[in-house]
Amino acid sequence: MFKDLDDVLKNAKSLKDLLAARDELTQKTGTYYGIQELKLKEEDPLKFEQFYAELHSVVLRAREHSRLITASPGGREMGESLWSLCTPDGDTLANSLGFSTHMVAYRKAIRFMIENGYEENPGINEGDIFSTDDGNTAGAPHPGDTYTYLPIFFDGEMVGWAAAVNHIMEAGAPVAGSWPGFAVDTTMDGLVFPPMKVGENYTPARWWEELWKARTRAPVFNILDDKMRLTGCMYIEQGVKEIIKKYGLDYYKRAIREVIEETRRAIVENIKTLCVPGVYEGTSFRVVKYKGLSQVWPHADKDFMLHTRMTVRISPEPKILGDLTGTSKWDYCAFNGYPGGADIAFYLPVTGNFLNNTKMTSGLFYDIRSYYPEGCTYNPDTPYAAFSNIWAQSMSMGALHWNALTRAFYARGFLEECISCEGDWAGIQGAGTLANGQQYGFTNFEQVGGVAQGAYPFRDGIPVAWAMWTQLCNIGNQEEWEYLIPPFFYLGRRLVKDFCGHGKYRGGLGLSSVHWIVQPGRDLYISRGGAGMAQTPFVAIGQCGGYPAPNSWYVALRNSNLNEKIKEGLPYPRSADEILEYVNEGKIEAKDLQIFKADPPQLRMEDGDVFSDASGAAGGWGDPLERDPYMVINDLNNEWISEKIAYTCYGVVAKKSSIDGKVRYELDVESTEKTREERKKARLSCQSVKDWWMKERKRVINKDFIEPVRYTYKSSFSTKDGEKFRQYYVGFWQLDKDFEL
Amino acid sequence: MEKIEVSKEMIKKLMDGVLSDQEVLMLQNSYKDHDRFLKYLEVLQERVPWDDKILMRLSEHVYIVQKKDTGERISKCTCGYEFGDYRVNWKLNCLINVRKTIEEMSEVYHPVPACPEPEWQEIREFFCPGCGTQLAVEVVPPGYPILFEFLPDLDSFYKEWLHSPLPDHGKYRFEDKSLTLIEKWSKEV
Ligand SMILES: [Zn+2]
Repeated sequence: MFKDLDDVLKNAKSLKDLLAARDELTQKTGTYYGIQELKLKEEDPLKFEQFYAELHSVVLRAREHSRLITASPGGREMGESLWSLCTPDGDTLANSLGFSTHMVAYRKAIRFMIENGYEENPGINEGDIFSTDDGNTAGAPHPGDTYTYLPIFFDGEMVGWAAAVNHIMEAGAPVAGSWPGFAVDTTMDGLVFPPMKVGENYTPARWWEELWKARTRAPVFNILDDKMRLTGCMYIEQGVKEIIKKYGLDYYKRAIREVIEETRRAIVENIKTLCVPGVYEGTSFRVVKYKGLSQVWPHADKDFMLHTRMTVRISPEPKILGDLTGTSKWDYCAFNGYPGGADIAFYLPVTGNFLNNTKMTSGLFYDIRSYYPEGCTYNPDTPYAAFSNIWAQSMSMGALHWNALTRAFYARGFLEECISCEGDWAGIQGAGTLANGQQYGFTNFEQVGGVAQGAYPFRDGIPVAWAMWTQLCNIGNQEEWEYLIPPFFYLGRRLVKDFCGHGKYRGGLGLSSVHWIVQPGRDLYISRGGAGMAQTPFVAIGQCGGYPAPNSWYVALRNSNLNEKIKEGLPYPRSADEILEYVNEGKIEAKDLQIFKADPPQLRMEDGDVFSDASGAAGGWGDPLERDPYMVINDLNNEWISEKIAYTCYGVVAKKSSIDGKVRYELDVESTEKTREERKKARLSCQSVKDWWMKERKRVINKDFIEPVRYTYKSSFSTKDGEKFRQYYVGFWQLDKDFEL
Repeated sequence: MEKIEVSKEMIKKLMDGVLSDQEVLMLQNSYKDHDRFLKYLEVLQERVPWDDKILMRLSEHVYIVQKKDTGERISKCTCGYEFGDYRVNWKLNCLINVRKTIEEMSEVYHPVPACPEPEWQEIREFFCPGCGTQLAVEVVPPGYPILFEFLPDLDSFYKEWLHSPLPDHGKYRFEDKSLTLIEKWSKEV
């Protein structure tokens, strides 16, 4: 094959040649394309940096321009979009602001096109537009995430790709919205298509527009977003051509590879600076409650948990391997994914922690890798597994990776980089028909745009201030969501008292909105697309004695006298917890009040009904009994926690007084010291883990679990590497060698 | 971005939660200081009430130390409680409280709908047998093996990354030895 990069650049005849050369040289040498010296950088570092700054500036501008030219409100309001420049063989050179790990999918999709002969059929020519939202062939995390690819040519030579992605409003599945929570196999994922040529001469094909109209419920928005992505890509194409004219094609072709090798080296240095070699274990569970939802698909009629187990191995070279052995087998549910889309979650802590002093390029993929056993949730051994909402639990996988790195940073003393990481998020979605017969579909991305940050080892997490997946935390304007979704009005939006993982430092509180349905017209159905549900927390392991965050829960209040109360000018609830208080206190009467700790099915909503979420809480750090009691009092006075939690969780006794009708709390120093002392004593009289193990072991031998738990273990034992996890399980409980559940 | 000097005073303030948000931001935005680990160990060593040498901090209160008298590498709590060989999951030598009912769970997760679901999940709280501090929390289904959160490869770290091998380099093979303890338990069944 090729000797080195110079040889490749001179003699490669096709994209296939380039891709094979990249794979082989990188594999053989351990450096990108076998690059040993960053010649261009060393010769003239200022020129090199200026070159890169110009590339970067083009993609940054592409995003800001195109969102103002054509975009759906979702595309404009939310951080989940990205514009990028890639090499011809699919590595990313520069990203706009936005959800940057989507660049994992570019490599996957471009590889697929090259390896499957797209150069010959349908041909890759100047002005061609390609699009995809497929997980299996193109690395899309889920069908709502739609990608556009525009090849860039210079003097007839293919020199790169402009790429863009955004999360569209509606994916066209049986369950309306952009993350259908009920799907049995991929035919229920919605409009899924592998990389396809959807236009020529920079013009989308007529049929392309018709497809969006026919197969999704928000075609106007989806078509606007399609044009938005293309606009940005064309902007990048133009910009890159100018840059090549200025620096010369030879410079461009070598420099773009040096940039990626430079990132790779920086990542290696950063791992050595920030981490500790070793083995880090983490786990998480995601509830699937499909029992009773359908008689049509009996194979999906069951309840269980998806188990994600991640062993992060940092080796001395250094390399990082995220090993998912032990993870559940894929199943007849919406929450599977494919390796590309899963990697988009896996790499979140890498972009979040290792790229602050280098360039955000594909250089980060080479020494940090994932391993998804064949058959598991993230790597189904079938192309027919549904993947409509892999984000439902792949974010917890990203969070496990992040928490492993946090343990490493903590051991090194870089406390400023340590957070108790959670990846919970939620979106409300659905479809309806207005009074005039107009049908529509929608997603409210509010709780996707921003969630709470977890606790640091030295301060509390901040609410609604963070999102693992984007630097652009933004929950959007209420007013914008209201005009976007005609019958949805906000009665309130506020933080939920007590709703976080507690600890010496507590996580940021989760947020709740109350969506009030006003004159929905002919019909309105809503459901919830989102990460975990409160039945299980999102990550199972807290940091240093703090509690992991609780997950999302929902309240549907239907057929109530709320509208009458509002007409009378009486107070109304502003958050999910307040709805429950109002009902308990008899301030509102409802014939139908439902609380969901697992995904609700689609609910029919009428005038005056209310749907409310509580989501995006974050985890704590350290023993709650070590929390400064005055911080607990402060939380009480801010109405961030309740007296109950102050006492039961933090061991703080408060003196309550009322000044001008306002309740104030003061610390009862003596009672608090006494309470905390007693708590510690009570802890010291707890059983030893050894005694607990003796008892629990009997339970395991008797298989004394509810069916969903038994199923969850069995599923984890049945992937390609499941036997390893079974043996580990047998070892831990000292069971018969052939023990099965 | 710039490179900054991070003093021991600053590290102490960071650990105590009294460094200003501005200063924390500056630390986050700067190139990392390469001697942070050694300064951190010095600060930690000054603060613990015993004088075994700290090799690594695993958690708020759990350290891997080299015992002064015997030279053994063990994990140890701030209070002085010793968990034994650092390659055995220290959680196995803790005390444990398990919350199984909504009533028990709602003391630490609130409002009530935010509680994990009994039978599907249980909350395990691990306490130091010496001081009663809560060292770890797991929220997992019944029957889930206790997780070993972090086993560092100490020898590689000290020798290859810090270029300062530990005096007993090579004596402790890098491997999870938790099963040796569990096998001992099983003999008592
Ligand atoms: Zn202790």
